[in-house]
Amino acid sequence: MDSLIARAGAIQPLNKKRRISHAASKSSSKAKKSSSNSDHTLNTVASHTSIPKSLQDSRSLPEDGSSYKHIANKKLRTQLNRQAAQGARAKALLEDAEMLLMDEAGGLEAEGEMDRTWRVGQSDILQSAGQEAAKGRREYKLDGGPYRSRYTRNGRHLAIAGRMGHVSTFDWQTGTVHAELQLQETCRDITFLQDHSYFAVAQRKYVFIYDRDGVELHCLKGHIEPTRLEFLPYHWLLASVGNPGYLKYQDTSTGQLLVEHRTKLGACTTMTQNLHNAVIHLGHQNGCVTLWTPNLPHPAVQLLAHVGPVVSVSVDPSQGGRYMATAGRDGTVKVWDCRNWKGAVRDWQVRGGGDPELDWSARGYLSVASSGTVNIYNPPSIHTPFHVRSPPPLYMTHPIPHRPLTSVRFAPFQDILTVGHSAGLSSVLVPGSGEPNFDSREADPFENKKARSEREVKALLDKIQPDMITLDPEMVGNLAPVSKLTTEVTTVNGKPRTDIPYARLPRIDRLRVSGKLDETEENGAGEDDGEDEESKKHTKEEREKRKMRGKGKSMKRYLRKQRKNVIDPAAVTIRAKLEKQKEEKKRTAAAAAGDTGEKKKLSALDRFKRSK
Amino acid sequence: MRPGDPTPTSRNLNPLMHPFSRARERTRALNAVKMERMFAKPFVDSLEGHIDAVEVLCRRPGSLTAVASGSWDGGIILHNLSTRKPIAKIPQAHKGKASGLSFSPDGQRLLSCGVDRNVKLWAVGSDSTNTEVPFNVFPGKAAFNSIDHHRTEPLFATASNTVQIWDETKSAAISNLTFPTSTETITSVRFNMSESSVLASIGSDRTFTLYDIRTGKAERRVVMQMQSNALSWSPTFPTTILLASEDHNLYTFDIRHLEAPTQIYKAHVAAVMSCDWSPTGLEFVSGGWDRTVRIWQEGKGRAPEVYHTKRMQRVSSTIFTGDARFVLSGSDDGNVRIWKAKASDKLGVVTARERAAMEYRDSLKDRWRVDNEVDRVARTRHLPKSVHQTNKLKNTMLEARRVKDERRRKHTRAGENKPKPERKKLVIAEQV
Repeated sequence: MDSLIARAGAIQPLNKKRRISHAASKSSSKAKKSSSNSDHTLNTVASHTSIPKSLQDSRSLPEDGSSYKHIANKKLRTQLNRQAAQGARAKALLEDAEMLLMDEAGGLEAEGEMDRTWRVGQSDILQSAGQEAAKGRREYKLDGGPYRSRYTRNGRHLAIAGRMGHVSTFDWQTGTVHAELQLQETCRDITFLQDHSYFAVAQRKYVFIYDRDGVELHCLKGHIEPTRLEFLPYHWLLASVGNPGYLKYQDTSTGQLLVEHRTKLGACTTMTQNLHNAVIHLGHQNGCVTLWTPNLPHPAVQLLAHVGPVVSVSVDPSQGGRYMATAGRDGTVKVWDCRNWKGAVRDWQVRGGGDPELDWSARGYLSVASSGTVNIYNPPSIHTPFHVRSPPPLYMTHPIPHRPLTSVRFAPFQDILTVGHSAGLSSVLVPGSGEPNFDSREADPFENKKARSEREVKALLDKIQPDMITLDPEMVGNLAPVSKLTTEVTTVNGKPRTDIPYARLPRIDRLRVSGKLDETEENGAGEDDGEDEESKKHTKEEREKRKMRGKGKSMKRYLRKQRKNVIDPAAVTIRAKLEKQKEEKKRTAAAAAGDTGEKKKLSALDRFKRSK
Repeated sequence: MRPGDPTPTSRNLNPLMHPFSRARERTRALNAVKMERMFAKPFVDSLEGHIDAVEVLCRRPGSLTAVASGSWDGGIILHNLSTRKPIAKIPQAHKGKASGLSFSPDGQRLLSCGVDRNVKLWAVGSDSTNTEVPFNVFPGKAAFNSIDHHRTEPLFATASNTVQIWDETKSAAISNLTFPTSTETITSVRFNMSESSVLASIGSDRTFTLYDIRTGKAERRVVMQMQSNALSWSPTFPTTILLASEDHNLYTFDIRHLEAPTQIYKAHVAAVMSCDWSPTGLEFVSGGWDRTVRIWQEGKGRAPEVYHTKRMQRVSSTIFTGDARFVLSGSDDGNVRIWKAKASDKLGVVTARERAAMEYRDSLKDRWRVDNEVDRVARTRHLPKSVHQTNKLKNTMLEARRVKDERRRKHTRAGENKPKPERKKLVIAEQV
């Protein structure tokens, strides 16, 4: 049969053929050539299945460094290699695409040695700025008490809420007012939901949700006396914290009150979110800053940041949420590294009194508003560690005569900082603070009605489940960390036993696997313990011979009675004592034998000793 | 910008501009795989007409729509799949069961055989007017079980108690092919598609035999643990053959190495009654006594696609259509059912954007296949209660057997009773 098929020139499976040619290539190139000639299938098919030369990627692959030579499975290895190549190519293309970005970030630069950027005032900037950019400088004169503001994610719409109950949302570029409400009660915070079509207001007693036209849609009675609101856009969660000290998450797509965390730290008036991992940062009255996720009933991180109350917290979006700035009522501002919480990276004291307000822009500019001035610092110096308690070099400053300054917000994709104060709001230009290039798949300032509604649907489809919020957003799609608990137990034969699942192991083995077994006794008194597995190997007479040798002593008996798996402090101390005694005995025996110099501590001069 | 222009977009690929990109992609993958399950409506139609169980199905070469089916009542129907109406009906083609059907290579003539010991040749081309009367009748000596036409020449092979080769123009068999020691009934016979003189047959004596009609001899025979019920040659790899076995499994063999199957396909919970390769050679369909139709990927021996309906009884024949998009099953309830080969496939016109979205979803599914939840959704199939229970019982039995073997091994001298690989268990003897 074989000869029959061979004679007829049967097509063989390609992989088989390849293996042959591969083996041949090792031996000699000549053989390789002949073998490839004989592979009719490959020859006939190859010319039709490859990409035309003009379309083939001629560039060599960038060196990725990841090699999968150690993987035995051929199929998997090929797949991994291909994936790595694809990843490398994508990375190269990504670098290529940066060229295509349309706009560049602006900024102030000092000309001379003695010149300072902070000497440049708003009037100078306005003169040199373009007409369109100059529109960002505005003064909203309103008398509803100190104001708080919030931009939509695309930076087009602004929501403002005055303490006395004046709430308004509008498109600040065209000046179209969407809603204007006089709520006649205290409003403490305002936030847009997924886009400008809904907004939530933290009012005297509850949180209320209004639609774009200002029609009250929902009264969220679960949120009592809210002080601060945050909306997590990718999870569709509205988080609120209030005077009772509860952090509450409301799912705005399903309407369900997802979870309420009792902070146990009293009334809370400071909240912010980390845009990159959706963790909520709360600042408390006792100086603590706590980080919360919906799936943990306790804070993921708790940190004593200030000696007095924390009045403002902000997270740097430009570094992937790596840095956090906090401000205390005592007027200190601290910058923290969120990867390790070992002390502040930098801290300084603001001038004058008042509660400093903080906000971090998309490109890492930090604004600090306190006691009548807004100071803006620029990136590298904010988080470079500095041992002196002095503020980083000032980038810009802007005086505002209406105290107190109650909120600062950078506008996304604009070089604008909006400061809320007792006489309304003022927008100032901060060159270089905004991200110049928007991505219209994420947030588009120029989107039309249809694009907005489509984005809403898409975002709902892509809604991330709230239990996926963790400190490390890259957790998704990574391999799970290796469990510390393994079921590999050494058996009598010394071979690991993998066939028995953990749950079916005997208790002693389970304890050993989980590292809870007290093994001191096994070392010390294990030999005369008849139940031990190892001693089962001993012959019967041997066992009988040493059956009662020294077993009757009260101490030994006491120790034997303490089972191996019970960690009794008394037994442990006694065992330690016995161990010590044994050691002592051994040492005296050694001293009696005569060698004493063995363990002598080496002196510094011993290094010059000639070795024998 | 003029009205009607596409909205200008701008991209910024900085990863900081796209927070949670991984988590969002995973959500998308999960949605994609859920959508796939939601749109998995594989059943297309059922073709009626037979008054007894459908025994055999056969597609017409060179046609995507014409399929012939033969039934236990002796009737043969030629179906048109696109209109879902019969092209021709031969109600009493055979007395008793019509056990085999095969088209001639040009698709103009249909050969049928039955247990009435006759092979009949029917003219079913477009110009043929009278399909009621057979074109030719070849009387045989024993009841026929299967028939297959040669790929190019006017020859055909029949399976009764022997394998016989017939010429269309001659009234008696031109040669008798038997393995010298074989005495049992041959249940199925198939010509190889590219090595067209090679012939394979399976018999009720648990054998699988290869013949060559040039030498006129049986070349090789394999005795297996259990009987096979159907066989099919791979259309792309001429040396690969697929056997549907009574032991609930399917096996692919490389006919150059008959000592062990190249792959075992395990999922059926009762005997597999039929199998057929897709014309692409990448997948195949099988139907079983457990009332399910399963679609397998070549080389992937588990977790096939599974189709079932409440009213479908034991499946005795399954075939792929010529375009590999549909699967046909003939079952004991007398219906021929049309299924999609890919359960969530969209029939009809697909726009370019839709196509792009589908491809994106497919790549997402592939990429996130390792995710637990995505995998679980993709894998889960609802099975009829009976099949589910049988599967559980089967697993229990297999597990018990395994445990028993293990214990037995533990209590024999070390190295004396080695575990045998599953693939090596199948073939009992190979005879040349």
